[in-house]
Amino acid sequence: MNGLLDKAWQRRLAAGLLVALVGVAFAWFFIVPRLRPHIFSGAVIQSTQKAPRLELDVAGGQTVRMTDFEGQVVVVYFGYTFCPDICPATLGKLADAMEILGDRADEVQVMMVSIDPERDTPEMLAEYVTHFHPDFIGVTGDPQTVNRVATLYGVYYEATEGTAETGYTIDHTTTVMLVDKEGFLKLVLLFEGTAAQIAADIEYFL
Amino acid sequence: MRRKTLSRKTLIRSAIPVLVIILAAAAFAVFEPIQVLPRIRLAPGYLLTDQSAATLTSEDVRGDIVLYNFGYSGCGEDCAQMNGTMAAIQSRLGEVDVGDTNIRFVTISFDPAQDTPEALAEYANAIGADLDKWTFATAEPGHLENVVKAGFRSYYEDRGDGSFTFDPKFVLVDGWGVIRGEYRYQTQTSDSDKILRHIDILGEEIRNSHGAASLAYEAAHFFLCYP
Repeated sequence: MNGLLDKAWQRRLAAGLLVALVGVAFAWFFIVPRLRPHIFSGAVIQSTQKAPRLELDVAGGQTVRMTDFEGQVVVVYFGYTFCPDICPATLGKLADAMEILGDRADEVQVMMVSIDPERDTPEMLAEYVTHFHPDFIGVTGDPQTVNRVATLYGVYYEATEGTAETGYTIDHTTTVMLVDKEGFLKLVLLFEGTAAQIAADIEYFL
Repeated sequence: MRRKTLSRKTLIRSAIPVLVIILAAAAFAVFEPIQVLPRIRLAPGYLLTDQSAATLTSEDVRGDIVLYNFGYSGCGEDCAQMNGTMAAIQSRLGEVDVGDTNIRFVTISFDPAQDTPEALAEYANAIGADLDKWTFATAEPGHLENVVKAGFRSYYEDRGDGSFTFDPKFVLVDGWGVIRGEYRYQTQTSDSDKILRHIDILGEEIRNSHGAASLAYEAAHFFLCYP
């Protein structure tokens, strides 16, 4: 016997190490990701009460309520059709998130609430939001109702002077809210989140 | 009758669970469980006018810890205790560690007819508020109803004689705009002690909830280790 181990034992040890290495790699890539809890890109809310009530108008003279979407995850965003930058960027990101979700996007309803009820009609909203994704809906109402809904969803907005081309513009909160299938407001996402992060957060609630 | 004696192996086997329990209890006492404040619901968005006639919005305080209360400049003794609590917390902020996060105080008046910016500034001065941290603000009545009554769920009603029936209440909101504490009455612990302890818990979460530790904090929220 030469050295500490003979060749047979060296072979067994090498084989053992190889098996251990493959086992660790398998666990690292296939088991650990499944066990690791999801880290949300936004702030989770654990309210025991359902999302604030919402009853607003959509194109076609119809009214929608939050309760109409129970069984679907509702992604709520507050914006307006004359919005020059943040709104199209957010809706574009949400459309990309829907693409990432693939078939599961059928279980999601993206809704933009107009904070510009003076200019945005339900028909204008429908045309605007479907430009980003055919299943998105746009809702509005009278100014008092819109103010109440926006306030309760943590959204501030204020008209500011724009240019002759844009007319007035509106400063507003840019967060996106996620309501789960049971109608509880569960998540607040910041504008900075990527489409992939938004998709992963939505998928958690599907 | 032959007496059966416990073997050494049996003794060791029975001692192991007891030892595990003792060690777990010791670890619990030494490391202390993570405490978190509940994420109650979204605080309302708002657009207010403050004591210097500037606008104050919910976006201006995003990222800050904010303690709100509700009142009006003409409320006299009815607000004295509440204002005293706010002032006490303001003066004792050195007792809490919230890292780089700002702590702000906002008093929302539900009497916009009387509480002009000048009246609010005078009121702030009278109660010795540090206006670098403490803002007094109000809005038009319709928006106030949405913000104070519906959003913060704090009741008020005009008695018609220049005074109000109202709900003395503090609301603690985190930098995400999520309500983390609501305080309606004084218990055995004074409101200022309790609110300061809660601000400190919030500060600890803000300071430590990064990377792998954030999982422990999420677990604490999940298992509701609320103080």
